[in-house]
Amino acid sequence: MTESQRYEVLMLGWEYPPHISGGLGTACEGLTTALAPLGVGIDFVVPHLYGQEHAPHMRLNSPDQSLRELDPLAWGSNYADGATASDRLMVSPDGVASLRSALQETLLYETRADGGDENRATQQGDNRRVRAVEHTRIQALLSPYLRPEDYSYLLKALEEGNDAVLHELLGPTAMLFEPDSASSPVDARERAAQIARGDAPGSSPHYGDNLFGEVMRYAERVAVWARHKRPQVVHAHDWMTFPAATRVAELHGIPMIAHVHSLEQDRSGDGANETIVGLEGAGLRAADRVIAVSHYTARMINQQHGIPFERIDVVHNGAYARKTVSAYRSESADDRPMVLFLGRVTYQKGPDYFVEAAAKVLQVVPEASFVMAGNGDMLPRLKDRVRELGIESSFSFPGFVRGADVERLFSTADVYVMPSVSEPFGISALEAMSYETPVVLSRQSGASEILHHALKVDFWDVNKLAGQIVAILRYPELRSSIVDMAREEVRRVHWEAAAAKVKQAYERALKGD
Amino acid sequence: MPSVCFYFEVHQPYRVRPYDVFQIGRDHQYLDEKLNAEVMQKVARKCYLPANQLMLDLIDRYEGRFKVAYSLTGVGLEQMHSYAPEVIESFQRLVATGCVELLAETYHHSLASIYDLAEFREQVAIHGRLMRSLFGVKPTVFRNTELVYNDDIAREVAKLGYLGMLAEGADDVLAGRSPNFVYRSAGGELGLLLKNYRLSDDVAFRFSNGAWPEWPLTADKFARWIHGTGGDADTINLMMDYETFGEHQWQETGIFAFLEHLPGALLEHPDWSIKTPSETLEAYAPVETLPYPRTTSWADVARDLSAWNGNEMQARAIERVTTLGDRIKRRKDSAMLALWRKLTTSDHFYYMSTKWFGDGDVHAYFSPYESPYEAFINYMNALTDLEKQVDKPLPVTSARGVPTNATIASSRTPASAPVPTPGSSVVVPKVVDPRAATSKDGSVRSA
Repeated sequence: MTESQRYEVLMLGWEYPPHISGGLGTACEGLTTALAPLGVGIDFVVPHLYGQEHAPHMRLNSPDQSLRELDPLAWGSNYADGATASDRLMVSPDGVASLRSALQETLLYETRADGGDENRATQQGDNRRVRAVEHTRIQALLSPYLRPEDYSYLLKALEEGNDAVLHELLGPTAMLFEPDSASSPVDARERAAQIARGDAPGSSPHYGDNLFGEVMRYAERVAVWARHKRPQVVHAHDWMTFPAATRVAELHGIPMIAHVHSLEQDRSGDGANETIVGLEGAGLRAADRVIAVSHYTARMINQQHGIPFERIDVVHNGAYARKTVSAYRSESADDRPMVLFLGRVTYQKGPDYFVEAAAKVLQVVPEASFVMAGNGDMLPRLKDRVRELGIESSFSFPGFVRGADVERLFSTADVYVMPSVSEPFGISALEAMSYETPVVLSRQSGASEILHHALKVDFWDVNKLAGQIVAILRYPELRSSIVDMAREEVRRVHWEAAAAKVKQAYERALKGD
Repeated sequence: MPSVCFYFEVHQPYRVRPYDVFQIGRDHQYLDEKLNAEVMQKVARKCYLPANQLMLDLIDRYEGRFKVAYSLTGVGLEQMHSYAPEVIESFQRLVATGCVELLAETYHHSLASIYDLAEFREQVAIHGRLMRSLFGVKPTVFRNTELVYNDDIAREVAKLGYLGMLAEGADDVLAGRSPNFVYRSAGGELGLLLKNYRLSDDVAFRFSNGAWPEWPLTADKFARWIHGTGGDADTINLMMDYETFGEHQWQETGIFAFLEHLPGALLEHPDWSIKTPSETLEAYAPVETLPYPRTTSWADVARDLSAWNGNEMQARAIERVTTLGDRIKRRKDSAMLALWRKLTTSDHFYYMSTKWFGDGDVHAYFSPYESPYEAFINYMNALTDLEKQVDKPLPVTSARGVPTNATIASSRTPASAPVPTPGSSVVVPKVVDPRAATSKDGSVRSA
């Protein structure tokens, strides 16, 4: 780990707090906040800024604002050095025209927004203003992190131009959108691939009046904006930003990281939008490395898009574990309460206290099951002890587990127990908490010093340890109260670990691993 | 002519001792005798005794012009009787001056007004008997646990024959009106005295806060603020925990000096006087009817019940203990009933609050438990044992693993309360709650 290594990263997102429609903005805030102290300089780009964003740890940009700063008056005419806008911006003349109209629309919208809520009144008088309003609304509201049902509902409404649904979802000033020919399912996949490569018919990205139009508009603007930047890595969060990242990576010849917080298939199931799936896949294939928020997501990326596992880094971010958890929980048919130990089966981890406590728990909760996952020198002795106590039918020893099995265990456990005799920190307690599993941990761990929302016990106090396990198994209210409160706490702490892994992914990408 | 009304709450809960799941069915002592004794003795030394002495001195000095009101919970008085009987004597001396009014409340400082009205009436009645036997008074003004109030409770309290009630002067309820007048309850039956929470909390919470722009708060400054309301006030109702003096605000902060100088500073203004709650209700006609659209309390910024029932653990614990009530009562075991009632004290649920846990705030300060989760586990384990006892076939066996000295045991039976001759300073231990009189079952010993 090269902690002293500094990186300059161009990071592409779709939203940033406080204006967020889902978890992506929050995740980006958590990750960048933790990355900055590790020596990562971040230029973060979102389609639009609202002015209330607070991100002192990095440079937060919107290409709109920056374009205006670049050269607001020369826009559309030749520059002083004789270059045309097309040269300067490295896009085709058609592209310039589109960008120009996009910019004007944005400016118009902002003017109108300042002038109050007169959107309706302008509908007939100046159609373009109305459309500008639409674009901005789409940017603000169309996020893959709406609830899946709302999302597919909204998407369908957009494609069909269903005014009533839009009205319901977007409010009374929502306008009718024209369906975009590009999203016709027949050639959607091919079209998406073209768009992602930047060689769509007409040699210019198509600007539609829908989400895909916004995605392409964003890609175009970012590509222009990024010309003056010198990033070492471009890091894109989810499919909306993949086309932009692909352009920037090509422009600068730098590695691209595609970060998958969720897949279209996860969000929409059978109603997945083909165009989005196409853009997603193209971005993932173009990326040098892929970051998945769970092993579960990594598996899906591999299955759906054929990305080999060796190109995927799994970085749990805490905020998205819920999806993974419910996926595993619904797979699991076992409704016996499960108590988990996961770690090396060595003296330091206190596995013997786990076994002794288990015997006591079973006196009160006979249906409980205990999983001791891990290997170590104490394992044979503890297996003997379990037999001696006559509780082998309640125990399982899966040995060393990794990847998806770890996720499955954390997700399906009812309590995670960390009875360490001595533990500098104990990251597994945080890990368990990020799967919404309540934790009993020893006071002799570093984690117990910083965590409030866990039960704590001296490792030698087997009675109390057993009592706490029983309480969590018996009282769902205790469990849910702990989990509710732990969610925020663990998120903050967990981002620090996530950021270190992300930095390692940058390293690998730069080395061409 | 406006006046000031001082009201102080005096209460200590019976804390539940560390009680694990393996004790269930084996060990029926739930209360933390050692801790409860320690806390009572500490608070007596730091607050009750010095503050009472100061009140006596002030009453002497101002010859009837300085007055205060208290409500003393039954569970608090029981523990005074067990661990610091001299505190009861000093309250008796205070009441004997005629300048001290005692208010009614639930004996067990419970939330029964919200969850179990029949039980509420009983706990109020038991408290009433204690006030009569211990102090020879019959309160006419009611104050509910933690100032919990809504229109239904007011109706219930009116039915019990009280003339007035205290409530929080919550902003959203007042909706622009002033807390500094007497109001009428929604049903029209009760006079309402509303806590002026800004001025009250200046003393109770901000007094020693060096970051507060008004710090340090002097009696003269505070009296000036109160006098400044003149012309737009009938009564400034200052309501707070009595433990503010010397316990929440330590003696070193100057809180006693503040208290000592406050009556003089207030009475210096010829228009102002100091009145007790019943005098205040008598002196001023209600300005209007004040309906409460929600349940209020004096806790936190929200001034609602969320500190007691805001999370799932709290809701569950309250539900479990409340449902047990009927089964306990059917059993006609007075000791068991008395023990159950101790578990209805609101503090048990407050300890389970997760609001701001981890921020080192006021909730944590008052809790004897490491975390709200520990508080819940302990409480539920003890309650589970009690439930099992209730379900056991009659008759209950006696004296299970407890001291045998019958005299001590009966004098310390938790539902018992000391009864002195009114006006005298002699405390004669005697059982007040008749249903608690017969049991020698050590399992319910409080002391």
